[in-house]
Amino acid sequence: MSGSAAECRTEILEAADLRFGQVGIASVRVRSSDPAALKAALEVRVREAPQLFVRAPVVVDLSFLSPHPDDEAVHAMLAAVRAAGMLPVGLAYGDSETDALSLRLGLPLIAKFRAAYERAERTSPSDAESIAVPETGAPAAPAPAGADGPKVALQQHGSVRTGQQVYARGADLVVVGAVANGAEALADGNIHVYGALRGRAFAGALGDKSTRIFCSEFRAEIVSIAGHYRVFEELPEEFAGRAVQIWLEHDKLRIAGF
Amino acid sequence: MSETLVITSGKGGVGKTTTSASLASGLAQRGHKTAVIDFDVGLRNLDLIMGCERRVVYDFVNVIQNEATLKQALIRDKRHDNLSVLAASQTRDKDALTQEGVGRVLDELKQDGFDYIVCDSPAGIEKGAHLAMYFSDRAVVVVNPEVSSVRDSDRILGLLSSKTRRAEQGEGPGPQHLLLTRYNPARVEAGEMMSVGDVEEILGIPVLGVIPESEQVLAASNSGVPVIHDAGSIAGQAYGDAVARLVGEDVPMRFLEAPKKGFFKRMFGT
Repeated sequence: MSGSAAECRTEILEAADLRFGQVGIASVRVRSSDPAALKAALEVRVREAPQLFVRAPVVVDLSFLSPHPDDEAVHAMLAAVRAAGMLPVGLAYGDSETDALSLRLGLPLIAKFRAAYERAERTSPSDAESIAVPETGAPAAPAPAGADGPKVALQQHGSVRTGQQVYARGADLVVVGAVANGAEALADGNIHVYGALRGRAFAGALGDKSTRIFCSEFRAEIVSIAGHYRVFEELPEEFAGRAVQIWLEHDKLRIAGF
Repeated sequence: MSETLVITSGKGGVGKTTTSASLASGLAQRGHKTAVIDFDVGLRNLDLIMGCERRVVYDFVNVIQNEATLKQALIRDKRHDNLSVLAASQTRDKDALTQEGVGRVLDELKQDGFDYIVCDSPAGIEKGAHLAMYFSDRAVVVVNPEVSSVRDSDRILGLLSSKTRRAEQGEGPGPQHLLLTRYNPARVEAGEMMSVGDVEEILGIPVLGVIPESEQVLAASNSGVPVIHDAGSIAGQAYGDAVARLVGEDVPMRFLEAPKKGFFKRMFGT
């Protein structure tokens, strides 16, 4: 009996083959939610290399947009990509929201892994936007932990040395030690440095404006929260060497000592 | 038990080769069988500082490429029977070094009963520097008390913690020591130079020694005698102290303060 079942299965499967392969595919990192600007930017690229880009399949990466665009805006962006001559075939680099969006749009999500990392976090976009900014720089309330429990921070024990980069993907970063000149500490969440911050710190690397940077000795070269950065060619005297926190208030970086 | 030391810095011209020569000589002086290897393939300075440049027949690259045996290439120091120099090649470049070849030479030295193998790293963070540190058990980071040297040393310390065999095998970095060279206490006191404390705070590893700036260092290099042999010079004495600390002795730091001017100098100026 099993023999005939196997034969039957073979017969059915003959209609189609599944093959896995790797194909290079261009990804469009959308940095402006204005469809006209997007179309114009892509048209330049298509005109420069038509043999490469005309009717080229592309994956649309929305992770650089903050806040997340709504469905209507995404439709307009996809139309802009098509109008420029490319064919959007999917969305890229999805967090849980992009995942939901891709389901609604009926488009595949390429590189789904972000959603897996994010599962425990689930901060709703409204939380990220309506930050309760303290007037004086008193510490804000801790980020609400998701239903699945808190997302554990990436811990780095020992200094981040010159030229090294530590990235806490989808999490906070805790450095027990210094961040040296020319070293980079990056996190999608907050950054805590129990030591001297002499190098660079980028919190909210995916655009979460509620993230903060904390350090016990401030001597940073550059700090950035959700892309809003400040370069310290000269350290402000009142903060140099002190314990400070840095946060974003109305898209302006604020620093205050503890 | 044999130990492989790397003398490194990132930045050039801070005194790696001078330090390699003096530490290796000091270890030999104390009775340890020691080899010192020049990893700066293409430039070849160690043999000059050690005063054996005219006796180089075969070099490190020859051994790695099986053109000579290790025995043929090792040059015995004229002052200490238990000290051997393995010179770099001047006619090749650093691509002639291979990880497998370097590992083989170091293993052979260990089998030959060398207590210490001192690897003199080239400047930079490229292949030569990488291979010099890759097999090391301990590192001596040579640093001048100025910002660019400190910055480069920090970079090297990062590489030591991630790009060595120990790190790759998950053993964590071996002991790391700072050796400050060209230290000028008078300029530190005048605020023109970083202090030992400043450098130690930034780099966060213990100081093995502080070598004061001294004219004797240049004189020693030019005459091919490692400065540690010049017992009359403060740099030589400071290297002697560093070697003592390297083998675990507790020796107080010296030469950290500018010499006090005597009565007459104070009265009449210098």
